[in-house]
Amino acid sequence: MNTVEGILHGFSVALRPDVLVYCVLGVVMGTFIGVLPGIGAMAAISLLLPLTYYISPEAALVMLGGVYYGAQYGGAVASILLRLPGTPQSAITTLDGYPMARQGRAGVALFASMVSSFCGSMIGIVVLVVLAGWLSRMATRFGAADYAAMMVLGLVAASTIGSRRPAKALAMVVLGLILGSVGTDVNSGVQRLTFGQTQMMDGINLVALAMGLFGVAEIIGNIRNAEREGSPPHVSLRQLLPTRDDLRRMPGAVARGSALGSFFGALPGTGSTISSFLSYALERRIARRPERFGQGAIEGVAGPEAANNSAAISAFVPTLTLGIPGDPIMALMLGALVIHGVQPGPLMLEARPDMFWGLVVSFGIGNLILLVLNLPLIGIWVSMLRIPFRWLYPAIVVFVCLGVYSVRGSSFDIAAVAVIGAIGYLLAMARFNPALLLLGFVLGPLIETNLRRAMLIGRGDPMVFLQRPISAVFVVATVALIAASLWGAWRRFRSRTAA
Amino acid sequence: MRRDWHDLWGGAAMTAIGAFVALYSVAQYDIGSLRRMGPGFFPVVLGALLAGLGLMIALPAWHRAGEMRPFDVPQALAVLAAIGLFGLGLQGLGLALTTAGAVLIASLPAPRRGWRWRLILAAIITVLTWLVFKQGLQMTMPVWPDFPG
Repeated sequence: MNTVEGILHGFSVALRPDVLVYCVLGVVMGTFIGVLPGIGAMAAISLLLPLTYYISPEAALVMLGGVYYGAQYGGAVASILLRLPGTPQSAITTLDGYPMARQGRAGVALFASMVSSFCGSMIGIVVLVVLAGWLSRMATRFGAADYAAMMVLGLVAASTIGSRRPAKALAMVVLGLILGSVGTDVNSGVQRLTFGQTQMMDGINLVALAMGLFGVAEIIGNIRNAEREGSPPHVSLRQLLPTRDDLRRMPGAVARGSALGSFFGALPGTGSTISSFLSYALERRIARRPERFGQGAIEGVAGPEAANNSAAISAFVPTLTLGIPGDPIMALMLGALVIHGVQPGPLMLEARPDMFWGLVVSFGIGNLILLVLNLPLIGIWVSMLRIPFRWLYPAIVVFVCLGVYSVRGSSFDIAAVAVIGAIGYLLAMARFNPALLLLGFVLGPLIETNLRRAMLIGRGDPMVFLQRPISAVFVVATVALIAASLWGAWRRFRSRTAA
Repeated sequence: MRRDWHDLWGGAAMTAIGAFVALYSVAQYDIGSLRRMGPGFFPVVLGALLAGLGLMIALPAWHRAGEMRPFDVPQALAVLAAIGLFGLGLQGLGLALTTAGAVLIASLPAPRRGWRWRLILAAIITVLTWLVFKQGLQMTMPVWPDFPG
């Protein structure tokens, strides 16, 4: 199937009434949850994960994807109006978006963020189509050793790149790998680490884990702070109109941000948050008057918002073509697909063209809906920031419980959410990143299977990982990353003892 | 005493979990060989790795001052108790009472006094829950307690 046929086929899937309905539902729910400060895309996807059990796999993936990029649109609203990042990906938008709002240009900042997000997504879609075809042709040559080495590289990259405390990040990954190994061992049928609980034979429930780590822990942390929000300014449609000067400054920033975002989004371990920070740094460096940044420079809104949206789309490249999620949100997506019996991998483009092309086209439709819907509806999103959190969070608690229960009618799973939520809250308080735990949890069984297979093929000789050129590259890159972060830790230690 | 207590306890917990997983797996499961790994191989290696990482986190924290962050104890207890009530009560008490009770418990630490808004909120959420999950999604669960007779 070539690209044109694929896109036409994609339209036939994405325009199916059920897929279209869940696409709209996904982007609207994503924007809604993204607007609420403190609850990010991770929590949004976790909350809607149980719903996907009731719908077709195409609609499920389209909806969860819509939640993800919808949350990016919504996150910018709280960042600009209240200087509270709605999502981590839009944290950098506060730097210039909020000053713009203080200068009475909140509408222009919102316009810039939405148009830039849209353009970034469109460029991300092109990159996704081009890279996915190329990578899935390459990946047919991958063996078990290559897969295992690549996943380990992904985990190490996610926990060392941009991390100030690599040891804590790696600990979360390893804890996730351990939790992923709970349940029946596929090779031997032995019950591992279940401690006699029959409910844990199938492993720890992904939905319970995600809800406990993200839903519950984030609610607890937000109750105290939620009431001292300032009230957001009123934004009318007329205020959205940018000046000619704004329009002149935006395209370059959007183009550079999209290029950065779609590159780093496709790499394992670097996602949309890092892309938005890099884009901001780049815009400030190349600006003729860098002192404008922080004072309401429109490039500081346009660039990062384009970057995080294009990264959100291109992050699907490794997830769909290799079956390897590059960041924790993609791990959740992969988990949702596996629940539906769809195993993404190099053969998916050929075997399930409806999934791949349907998703690609739905990205385009979903982003168009967001642009068309959000510009007129901006008043509604702004007024949602006025709903006190004390009305919302008890409803979210109830929704979490019933969502988990709906998966398999198990009260045990609700109790598990309480336990995981307590652990998740403690982890968050000790500044451990639970998102990395989830990444390890999803990748763990895949790594173990491929590792065991590779060692069997290699007759028990670990050198098999260095003899194959593809896996050798991954192993060398992994070692280099670990060495670099050890070197960084050593230098910090030396500078502190010297001072 | 100026120490980074969060990292100290966090690292110690990681070491404890890792050591427990590794030792338990050595005792309970077959390790196998490098060529044919048994079910115990992966957990043992990971447990040892986690124990080592825990030490790397905890040891430097002994000589370092960390910021103290207060725990939101009432908030955490209320939210977890509400979820616990759901897990234990849904089958016996039914959807309506469990939802209303969970909302009342969860809203206890909210920074606004008074019972009126809490009761109104509980009523609204209970009706919405019944509409969405029972009428809409047709989930199988009791709505009211199962009184004998």
